[in-house]
Amino acid sequence: MESLNTWAPRVLSLLRIVAALLFIENGTVKLFHFPVGEPGAPAALPMIDLIAGWLEFAGGILLALGVWTRPVAFILSGEMAVAYFMDHFPKSFWPIVNQGDNAILYCWVFFFLVFAGPGAWSLDAVLRRRP
Amino acid sequence: MGNLNVWAPRVLSLLRIAAALLFIEHGTMKLIHFPIAQPGAPTPLPTIELIAACLEIGGGVLLALGLFTRPVAFILAGEMAVAYFTAHFPQSPWPGVNQGGEAILYCWVFFYLVFAGGGAWSLDAAMVKRR
Repeated sequence: MESLNTWAPRVLSLLRIVAALLFIENGTVKLFHFPVGEPGAPAALPMIDLIAGWLEFAGGILLALGVWTRPVAFILSGEMAVAYFMDHFPKSFWPIVNQGDNAILYCWVFFFLVFAGPGAWSLDAVLRRRP
Repeated sequence: MGNLNVWAPRVLSLLRIAAALLFIEHGTMKLIHFPIAQPGAPTPLPTIELIAACLEIGGGVLLALGLFTRPVAFILAGEMAVAYFTAHFPQSPWPGVNQGGEAILYCWVFFYLVFAGGGAWSLDAAMVKRR
């Protein structure tokens, strides 16, 4: 157990980076139609999708680098909660039916990062070491 | 930061429980068609899907309770890695296209649990305290 615990801060950073990269892709799909356009999205993006796209793109980059991890993760966690209850929850109570389980997972992973911080490998950790 | 860190083990347990409950739903959808049947799944479930469903229900329940968190999370992280590379990755290298983003998130959340354990609120923690 002990030797596993030693690695937890590093694996936390890996989880943070992977979640952030996947999250950036959600943004680029909306904003730049990369790698594909969002299926069923109108050509002129509604204001709320535009805000979501930029939060996902910019917030995801900050999170991948581990810059200002806690406040950024707090904002993105909130974004995902709003997305779930606006987009998915009205369709059905069950996440597997309303297809919102991805949003719930992001929401909780980011919420955990607010409390746990960025882990061992992050710019936040580098800056703390070199004041 | 200090008082945020105090809450990290508890929020970790919330993340574990939320992810496990969502995960159970994937199993029940495959195995007992609850709350809906998996779209496009053949009616006699192929063996690999049957194994996956049993892992998702059994492993998900153990993980929600926080019982044997580390070994269970290790097995489920492996299951998600197999699912991603057999079901999603062949379709496209981009998670935004192959729809495997969710499998990746599960995989890394569970992988992190292997190292971090079940957090403050878990049967594992209760049993350690009793000893």
